Amino acid sequence: MVDFSLTNADERVLQLARQEAAIGHGHARYYDQHENELPPYIFPEVAGKPSPRDLARELEGETSGPAIIDVLLHLEESYADIRLRRTRTGLGQMIVNYAGSPEQVARWGRKELSIALTEPGAGSDPAAIRGTAARDPQTGDWILNGEKIYCSGFGGADGALVLVRGAAENGVRPFMAFVVEKGTAGLKMLGQVRKMGIRSWDTEDFVLQDCRVPDFNRIDADFKKTMIVFNGTRPMVAAHGLGVARALLDFTRETLAAHGVTVQYEPGAAQRSATQDRLLRLEALYDAALLSILRCKWLEERDGRTSGATKVEASMAKAIGGKATRRISQECLELLGPLALSEAFLAEKWFRDARIFDIFEGAGEINRLIVARWLLNYSAKELA
Amino acid sequence: MISFELSEEQRVAQATIGEFARSVLRPSAREADESTRIAGATLEAIWSTEIIQAQAFDGGAEVGRSPIMNALLLEELATADATLALAAAAPMAFVQAIADQGSRRQRDLLLPLFAGERFTAAAVVVMEPQFQFDVTALATSAERTGDGYLLRGHKSLVPLARDCSHFLVIARSGDVTDAFIVPSDSAGVSVGAAKGTLGLRGLAMADVTFDGVSVPAAMRLGEHNGCDVQRIIDAARTGIAAILTGVSRGVLEYAVPYLKERVVHGAPLARKQVIAFRLADMHIEVEAMRWMSWRAAAELENRRPATRSAQLAYTYAATQAMSIADEGVQAFGGHGFVRAHPIEMWYRNTRSLSVLEGIAGV
Repeated sequence: MVDFSLTNADERVLQLARQEAAIGHGHARYYDQHENELPPYIFPEVAGKPSPRDLARELEGETSGPAIIDVLLHLEESYADIRLRRTRTGLGQMIVNYAGSPEQVARWGRKELSIALTEPGAGSDPAAIRGTAARDPQTGDWILNGEKIYCSGFGGADGALVLVRGAAENGVRPFMAFVVEKGTAGLKMLGQVRKMGIRSWDTEDFVLQDCRVPDFNRIDADFKKTMIVFNGTRPMVAAHGLGVARALLDFTRETLAAHGVTVQYEPGAAQRSATQDRLLRLEALYDAALLSILRCKWLEERDGRTSGATKVEASMAKAIGGKATRRISQECLELLGPLALSEAFLAEKWFRDARIFDIFEGAGEINRLIVARWLLNYSAKELA
Repeated sequence: MISFELSEEQRVAQATIGEFARSVLRPSAREADESTRIAGATLEAIWSTEIIQAQAFDGGAEVGRSPIMNALLLEELATADATLALAAAAPMAFVQAIADQGSRRQRDLLLPLFAGERFTAAAVVVMEPQFQFDVTALATSAERTGDGYLLRGHKSLVPLARDCSHFLVIARSGDVTDAFIVPSDSAGVSVGAAKGTLGLRGLAMADVTFDGVSVPAAMRLGEHNGCDVQRIIDAARTGIAAILTGVSRGVLEYAVPYLKERVVHGAPLARKQVIAFRLADMHIEVEAMRWMSWRAAAELENRRPATRSAQLAYTYAATQAMSIADEGVQAFGGHGFVRAHPIEMWYRNTRSLSVLEGIAGV
């Protein structure tokens, strides 16, 4: 049955998450200004306290489902700005757990592994990846070379799952994935990336220079398998963006309300001021994006995360979420006026943070390509 | 519990009405637009779906009035044609308001009129002939006189006005907004000639004036309890959001095969990213519009406050639908501007729909 209401258990979990938002906001500016300092995995204010995720697990049968509550919690965690509890889970490790052999899962399944895909010349188009893997015929080891950038979580991680290309077979150089642990000779870390926003978001670059790993480190995760993980993470990242957008929207609403400007839903557009009208439209855009994300997660709940069935919906959720996050952050700053430029408030920070969400984890254009190919029944060749 | 799952009944009804709309309504759409009237046979065909009659029964999704079901079906009807969807949605709004908020006596008196064999028109009458019209600033007034009311005002854009047996007139009454049931043959009621409109032309929307019409207290909706006019407005906004979802889906579905065939500079238009991305955006937005209207409908169905979600669904749909119709015309080029294709009609219909209030119902 069509239903948009949260269960009591959903409400309890989200309430707990919302109560913690003020703690995050208190730390947000510090880590914005100290980008080389990684935030702790757990902040003292919440150490030892039950987390919203613990509560969600405890109430699992009574929530709207694990995929839905998970995405809503991602939104709340992002709303709180700084992650008060960072889990030691990276995308790379999710792929190892999904595609690795039992021996590989035993070795790395609980290690924190980032995923290293992007290179200076290859972002949205992985076919442009130039990093290489060459087999050493004597030892059977692999020699990796390449430069990997914008690697999320790598500063704190134990290593990364690195995507490179092997030697040509029938003229095609296959994608290959290797676990590279920190401390491996030939892995040269380049430090935190200097970004416009999300500066507390651990992001590193590194170089592989004749980096030798044993064959055991090769994970049978081809590009297609890697992409299936994105079906789950794209709507999640869209929810992250919306969390930032809502932080700005709430701040804008509260600030304007203190100046006597509130949105009324009864009148039509003719009775609204320009400010009221814009606020109402931003609220609508926020809700439209949120519902698109929830629809995708509901499908995932129904059909399974790794079924691949939600590929198009995941792209749709990411595309509308990214668009909404951009527009809401830009318009809120304009509605707030010049005082919002001051670092005395978090608004300017959220504005900077928001812009990444239509770029990483599938840029808006990539998601539109995926939706359009499906809609038009075109192959990647027919619609490039 | 968050869920987007349709029931078996909802899916069957959706498919049945969708097929009816494609085979019966779509072929009649252009003729209704050109002649500014809907053929009697088409109205009877709409009546035969029983979507209007169902509003009289409080049976939920399976056998009667269900805002979620109505949102689904209005989208299906409007995917074929918005004018004909409104020919159903306008009387639906009237019947819903009576069934929902009428007194026992009012329901017994009026609902049987909508159980007959022939199409029966009636309308909720909200809009007035002023630029910048707004539902919260009505000029039409109902003045208390002894045991009744004296209704004075000028209403406009009433769908199928000449055919209506009854109007539900929304008017200011002292400090509140109220609704009054007025038979169209009451003394003082005059229905103007249809002057023609930009879009939705088949509805022959006309002005109706109420020149000191005396309305007995028994015909105030809900009698001494009065009614919740905002709920009628919320249902209408939700209905228009569902109809706009359908119109936009119609544009997209019509555009895809054409753009895959039309070759420009050596390749089909659809293989150019600028066109393909617009189509992707249309699809993404049609879906978002749908979830917004479903949410408002779900709140109406569960009798929760729906004003916010209805307003957001309506405003969002209005903006997105206009942009989709606009891009539709652009993608068709000259073919989008000529009346040989329905695209220009949908463009006019979209601009019309998205400024209307009170005209539909879920």
